[in-house]
Amino acid sequence: MKRNPESVLNVLGKTQYLDDLPENAGMLHAAVVLSPSAHGRFSGLDTAAALAMDSSVRVVVAADIPGQNELGTAVFDEPLLAAGEWHYHGQVLALVLASSRSLARKAAARVAVQGAEQLPAVTDPREAAARGNIILSPRTQRSGDVDTAFLACDVVVSGRVESGGQEHVYLETQGAIAWPDDSGGVRLLSGTQSPSGVQKIVARVLGLPMNLVEVETRRLGGAFGGKEDQATGWAALAALGAVVSGRPVKINLNRRDDMVATGKRHPYSSDFRIGLKKDGTILAFEADFYQNSGAATDLSPAIIPRTLFHAAGAYHIPNVRVTGTMCRTNLIPFTAFRGFGGPQGFFVIESAIDAAARALGIEPADIQRRNLLSDGDEFHYGMVAEDPRAKETMERCLAKADWNKLRADIRDFNAAHAGLKRGAAATPVCFGISFTKIMMNQGGALVHIYNDGSVGVSTGAVEMGQGVGRKIALVVADALGIPDSKVKIETTRTVTVANTMPTAASTGTDINAMAAKIACDQLRARLDALAKDRPGLDFVQLVALAHEQRVDLSAHAFYATPGLHYDLATEKGKPFHYHVYGCAVVTATLDVLRGTYQFDDAFIVHDIAHSIDPVIDRGQVEGAFAQGLGWAALEELAFGADGRLLANTLSTYKLPDAHFMPRMDVEFLERPNPGTVANSKAVGEPPLMYGIAGYFAVLDALKAVHPDKPAFYDLPMTPEKALRFLSEEDSP
Amino acid sequence: MKRVIRFRLNERLYEEEIGSEQPALDWIRKTAGLTGTKEGCREGDCGACLVLLGGRGMDGRPEWKAVTSCTLGMGELDGRHLVTIEGLASGGLTPVMEAMLDEGASQCGFCSPGFIIALTGFLVSGQAIDPVSAMASVEGNLCRCTGYGSIRRAASILARDFADLPAGLERRLPELARRHVLPAALAQLMLEPPEPAGSQGAAFAAIHPEDPSLVDLGGGTDWYVRNPDPDPDLAPRFSDQAPGARSIRAGGSAERPVLELGSAVTVDDFFASPLVRNLAPGIERFAADMASPPIRARATLAGNIVNASPIADLTSMLLALGARLVLEGGPDGERLLELSDFFLGYKKTDIRDGERVRGILIPASPLRFNFEKAAKRARLDIATVNTAMAVTLAPDGGIASVRASAGGVAPVPLRMVALENAMVGKQPSAALAREAGKLAYDCGSPIGDVRGSAGYRRRLMERLTWAHFIRLWPELGLEKELLA
Ligand SMILES: Cc1cc2nc3c(=O)[nH]c(=O)nc-3n(C[C@H](O)[C@H](O)[C@H](O)COP(=O)(O)OP(=O)(O)OC[C@H]3O[C@@H](n4cnc5c(N)ncnc54)[C@H](O)[C@@H]3O)c2cc1C
Ligand code: FES
Ligand code: FES
Repeated sequence: MKRNPESVLNVLGKTQYLDDLPENAGMLHAAVVLSPSAHGRFSGLDTAAALAMDSSVRVVVAADIPGQNELGTAVFDEPLLAAGEWHYHGQVLALVLASSRSLARKAAARVAVQGAEQLPAVTDPREAAARGNIILSPRTQRSGDVDTAFLACDVVVSGRVESGGQEHVYLETQGAIAWPDDSGGVRLLSGTQSPSGVQKIVARVLGLPMNLVEVETRRLGGAFGGKEDQATGWAALAALGAVVSGRPVKINLNRRDDMVATGKRHPYSSDFRIGLKKDGTILAFEADFYQNSGAATDLSPAIIPRTLFHAAGAYHIPNVRVTGTMCRTNLIPFTAFRGFGGPQGFFVIESAIDAAARALGIEPADIQRRNLLSDGDEFHYGMVAEDPRAKETMERCLAKADWNKLRADIRDFNAAHAGLKRGAAATPVCFGISFTKIMMNQGGALVHIYNDGSVGVSTGAVEMGQGVGRKIALVVADALGIPDSKVKIETTRTVTVANTMPTAASTGTDINAMAAKIACDQLRARLDALAKDRPGLDFVQLVALAHEQRVDLSAHAFYATPGLHYDLATEKGKPFHYHVYGCAVVTATLDVLRGTYQFDDAFIVHDIAHSIDPVIDRGQVEGAFAQGLGWAALEELAFGADGRLLANTLSTYKLPDAHFMPRMDVEFLERPNPGTVANSKAVGEPPLMYGIAGYFAVLDALKAVHPDKPAFYDLPMTPEKALRFLSEEDSP
Repeated sequence: MKRVIRFRLNERLYEEEIGSEQPALDWIRKTAGLTGTKEGCREGDCGACLVLLGGRGMDGRPEWKAVTSCTLGMGELDGRHLVTIEGLASGGLTPVMEAMLDEGASQCGFCSPGFIIALTGFLVSGQAIDPVSAMASVEGNLCRCTGYGSIRRAASILARDFADLPAGLERRLPELARRHVLPAALAQLMLEPPEPAGSQGAAFAAIHPEDPSLVDLGGGTDWYVRNPDPDPDLAPRFSDQAPGARSIRAGGSAERPVLELGSAVTVDDFFASPLVRNLAPGIERFAADMASPPIRARATLAGNIVNASPIADLTSMLLALGARLVLEGGPDGERLLELSDFFLGYKKTDIRDGERVRGILIPASPLRFNFEKAAKRARLDIATVNTAMAVTLAPDGGIASVRASAGGVAPVPLRMVALENAMVGKQPSAALAREAGKLAYDCGSPIGDVRGSAGYRRRLMERLTWAHFIRLWPELGLEKELLA
């Protein structure tokens, strides 16, 4: 079995994450002063007590920023350091530097807000929308004629759906180290998914050209979207500290600050209307998504279209009208999280199908199977489904779970048991691959063959555990015809590959491995030209010869995903390179007395196309499913009515542990995906949606107790909601 | 407070002046420079900081457990041995690491050293080796990347390959060395805990009881969460450094037999004790309801009580068991106090200046016991509510005596006196369960917080009281009737 060399270092405990690197002499440590409430004004900060602690203590505020106090990319509404007013609990008011981390944190705790005045806070997205607090304009995608179609339906069902936020809980918290550079700029090590993004914003904050800001990213201890835009602020603060103090500055958040002060998955509140024929054919679907965007724009404008693109799930619905509104509230700016708005869309259509099934007196799975995408079906955004694998994966998954027998077994079990009820549900998935913003679908690579035959590869990809480095190494080894042990993947640096996009949207391998392959093809062509006259030379000999003959052994290449186009005015086009399909069946057992539940089995059939590394891909499917299941049935991102985050530590925010997870049986559907690197398909995000089946599995078990009580679509499922449903007196 | 401490880290012996209050995690990473041990939360909840802690167990023989170094005070290391991932890795990949690698159980890798420590600790610990116990050993470890499938497969491989390990550390450690789970030199040293810097008990006696910087600590699993960056002036006094404090003995008189638990008895010790298991048969089932293996290895019962959390699980159990506290060091010398009288208000106890808990007394007459805990996550989660019930039965099957506790419904852990009164002398039945359930519903004045609303807490107390009846009298088959 081939082992990932990076994982070897991990298990030996040798991998150096940001906080593991030796510290430079004179390095200062940074801590932050965070806003105490969801919305308020202040006149200044009292720093006397902090400064009195030690001569190394220094407090940096907005006025110290040499350039622009602005982190926003889509919209300029996110200051690095709040000045005069704060808009959410946990907004950074000041940076505190000191000679040790513990001193910096203690000093930060002694900085007091002066002249604080509390202002009203809005936390509910619908309330924000009603007050006109929205970001940009709502977007609507439509196909067919929904209004007419509803008139032709045998049954029309409407309802309301809530889905909660989700904290990333990457195990390595956010951080950065900045070194002042004698060029007048800064060098940075940043725990980011987007080194070029950090470079751009740091340059803006410091008032420098980008070429004076160098950013490097080493392996991250998890990210999941949480370090796409949200890592930038911490890097900018470290850079600011370094420039102001002239010393290297390290910032490494503790878990609580990380949880309070960094963005998470968006909560949504949505309304749906679905219309069907008696036989379960869906004719029309309408949904209004109120996205709780938080206090700043961040990535919300890229996330809302992904919700809309996935609003019809894995189904072909001829008449669709879906609208997404970004609602500005006084919560933390919500951000990218694996799935990127997709899961919220999926949960609504699956809720609508569940509600419709009850109205029609059939099983949700009957509606699901009847409406899955077929070849040539047009999505509501105008793209045509090519080689869709929805039916294939769902049928295989149901067969794997022995669906009919499973349903029968569950009925028998439930009839025989009063204290326990079982439930099962299936969720089919169809997920579009490409950044929703077309411009972002580009990437570069720089490949060096050293004259001893070893190879170094730089791309824009950031390794965060998803195995992109390993996949690139395998693609490069294959393209050059050398063993992968000869290939080293370099850290991601803005000076080797410039203007890169974040490693996100599941596209890390698609884009970066493709760019690396193009570079390798160029190098291979140069070597092959030499080899023609000198047959029988091995790679090392050929490289030595090339060097001798003054042939360039380095190549830079660029890849831009072909064929993408989208018209914002009509909301039609081809926003995705392709789609990934799959299906999960999840079973659960409910404790009727206590309202607790456990997940028993997960059967997954996933459209992997061709797997570059099956061990990595299985890990991606299982890991994404676990996050989805956590989102659907465990993780409760609780905010108080005053907008303060209540679940702000790992003792109050519970994510899946080993015990929580069901047995997982993952099977790949292998059929090449032409036009991608190694005929593969991206794998990072799509399997997250399988977790939604967990919500409906518990709901199915709950219905076995009270078949006539209306269901509720309020994710995450929790034991509290379950018990409320179970105890007759107070229903959810 | 600096103190001379003698301990071993991996294969090296240290005898140094070290801040005894300092979390071991910081010392390992910053002073010893071993960065394989990670900080993921600094509050015992993630397991990224796990290390193996060796010392002497209750029986004086070498004992090894995986513990969270973020809640471990350096002063505790006197006379102990720490093994970190670097210690395991000094001879290259071990079979535990290889199993993780082959199954792809290390993605971002930040959690990996912690899982490897936990699984290695499991092989070292001497428990029965099977896949279920192997997975139980990582219940204190979080991984956000893998979804645990690959970790489960790795654990099964280990359980299969090491099913035949000999019992007893003396035989097991050399065998683990032979099979490269441990470097040979390290395995040898692991059988020989170092001597503490002072004589036994010297460290404990060194701090004057009236020293204002003194803090009495048990395992530190609660205190370090509240004091993640302790002040260097503080002088922790660790209860397991008091001679004989880690013991469970039968005592009292013939008419009033009691179990005497010393202040350093850990949660692990409690559930492992045959005396405790005889007293409340089946009580060990509830061990897994409390925290995680690395926390249970360190957490003391005394700390659970003095912490005075209204949702402390062991306190809830001890209330139903009728425990009393022995307090020492106060102006009036030693005092004996009913546990239920110890709690005065939210996180307020009747402990007086200079006083510490010296021991816990539990009446030693056997009873039927049940414990119920509701939490968001089944494992490693703080209770939304908890409740314990202990009954003795009259010859006719009627309820001769009952004690019941309720946690999470009031500022302090409660005894449910009205419920107890309603049950005594009655025959157990569904009707009685419903009546008791109503009283439990109303027994406190719960508030709503991140763990659940007030109404949910009331409903839980009712349902968990029914659950007591169902489990305490399984022969009556009350479940169908109660849920009808
Ligand atoms: C991850 C995690 C999970 C947890 N889960 C649970 C759980 O599920 N259920 C639960 O009940 N608890 C839980 N806890 C809380 C904690 O572990 C327990 O309360 C534990 O029993 C505390 O014991 P300790 O010995 O570690 O206490 P310490 O932290 O050492 O001390 C706690 C307090 O008691 C005082 N103290 C300790 N010993 C004495 C003494 N002999 N005399 C006087 N004062 C003393 C200390 O000064 C301190 O104020 C959890 C903690 C963590 C970190
Ligand atoms: S750092 Fe998370 S348990 Fe210690
Ligand atoms: S591998 Fe990333 S947290 Fe476990």
